Amino acid sequence: MDIEPSDLIVGLLMAVLGLVGLILASGAMDDEMYVFGLSLFGFACVFVFGLLRRHYDRLDASRHV
Amino acid sequence: MSDAAAVLPRPLPEYNEAVVKKFLIAAIFWAIVAFLVGVWIATELAWPAANLGLSFINFGRLRPVHTSAAIFAFGGSALFGTSFYVVQRTCRARLFGGEALANFVFWGYQFFIVMAALSYVMGFSQSQEYAEPEWHIDLWLTIVWVAYAVIFIGTLMKREEPHIYVANWFYLAFILTIAVLHIGNNIAIPISMFSAKSYSVASGVQNAMIQWWYGHNAVGFFLTAGFLGMMYYFIPKAANRPVYSYRLSVVHFWSLVFMYIWAGPHHLHWTALPDWTQTLGMAFSIMLWMPSWGGMINGLMTLSGAWDKLRTDPGLRFSVTAVGFYGMSTFEGPVMSVRDVNALSHYTDWTIGHVHSGALGWVAFISFGAIYYLVPVLWQRSGLYSQRLASWHYWIATLGIVFYITSMWVAGIMQGLMWRAYDQFGFLQYSFAESVVAVHPYYVIRMLGGLMFLTGALLMVYNLIQTVRSRTTDQQPFALPAALAVAGE
Repeated sequence: MDIEPSDLIVGLLMAVLGLVGLILASGAMDDEMYVFGLSLFGFACVFVFGLLRRHYDRLDASRHV
Repeated sequence: MSDAAAVLPRPLPEYNEAVVKKFLIAAIFWAIVAFLVGVWIATELAWPAANLGLSFINFGRLRPVHTSAAIFAFGGSALFGTSFYVVQRTCRARLFGGEALANFVFWGYQFFIVMAALSYVMGFSQSQEYAEPEWHIDLWLTIVWVAYAVIFIGTLMKREEPHIYVANWFYLAFILTIAVLHIGNNIAIPISMFSAKSYSVASGVQNAMIQWWYGHNAVGFFLTAGFLGMMYYFIPKAANRPVYSYRLSVVHFWSLVFMYIWAGPHHLHWTALPDWTQTLGMAFSIMLWMPSWGGMINGLMTLSGAWDKLRTDPGLRFSVTAVGFYGMSTFEGPVMSVRDVNALSHYTDWTIGHVHSGALGWVAFISFGAIYYLVPVLWQRSGLYSQRLASWHYWIATLGIVFYITSMWVAGIMQGLMWRAYDQFGFLQYSFAESVVAVHPYYVIRMLGGLMFLTGALLMVYNLIQTVRSRTTDQQPFALPAALAVAGE
């Protein structure tokens, strides 16, 4: 089963944004930027895992049709 | 194409209803948060010791949490959810961009709300009303908003219906104008890429002008145009009647979007803003009466021949009452924009009452109407768990609004009169502290009004949970056929 273009584009976008979050947290000059950067990184990770899960769920479902 | 083929029913596309459901759940959740925080800060205003001496729950920090939760979290989630529902049904097309993009918009928007609220309680703010988040959160919202616009416009472009139904025009105006306003008002330079603090590129009166160009159009396009889109779809659907005048809806749309954008300066009467700019804002605010009331009449007259449904459908009752409040607050707004009236009303609680007649009476009620309509449809139930509970919600919430706005009228006019009163020697007759003491009873009444509104919303939550879970609301074997709808499909 092919990867949906939407999954790929959004997944790549989230990977880049997650990296940006990590960079922001690493150099944060205040609590707010530290919390935001780490949260953005965490959010991106969870979202990408969600994309992977849904992809394999669909793959699994197509096998059992 | 043969005649036989022409009348064959077309298969319905597989709509993305999962994202609509998620936005509805989020809207309901954030509604409770917004009302709860509102009641809490109203309590703090009546009894300041209620802030418990904790910096992160003082009025200054919780107030933007309340406004953002009400406008952006509750109202925004309701708008995203209903716009995704309406655009799919009226265009007969699944959302553009796939499931991943729709999920990104949902979760990305929720992330924005949580990050913004967290930053307020931590003490970070741009100090611009309704635009409090700092630059990094603004940039995040811009990304999410662009994705939202791509989905909505993409769905319109791949539609299988020749006509774009009027509700979509209002939603589109909301999406495009908010994008322009958000970017225009938040152009700021951070002190460092690694710091949350930034400074607006505009300063002084220019900054104030841009802020209120944004602020008033947040009211005009977020809280009005978007919810008018909701009105133009859900009232005809619930009443099972076509829109009273489609021509009037088109006139309503173009006149509203043309006039609203000029009205912002009425927030800056009697300030350093040039007089001609203030007069311009006032003149356009008064002209706004026409499209606002045209829209109200169109919404109400859609009930022609179906007024009896108000007795049996509490959801529709919410929607129609919302249109009444829309008419009332869009009458009051232009009155308050007249410079001499504004001299009395500005900086007083009259403004707070006006905002809440719009926010509670119009925005929340039209959303409740849509939610009561959508939950049984989306979860494929035969109806609400309890019509009686929905009726209780309606009456408790309506009474709560009446308590709220009447107390704020009295408090606001009293404040305005006390602040301008002179004695026989030309000295101010009252100190500011005396005006604070004088409004205390009305602050208590306002808090009670808010508490009633919150209580009603909690009844709604229970009713909706039971609607989805209870055995007494039978599950329907199939989705409601959108093709039978009257509103433009």
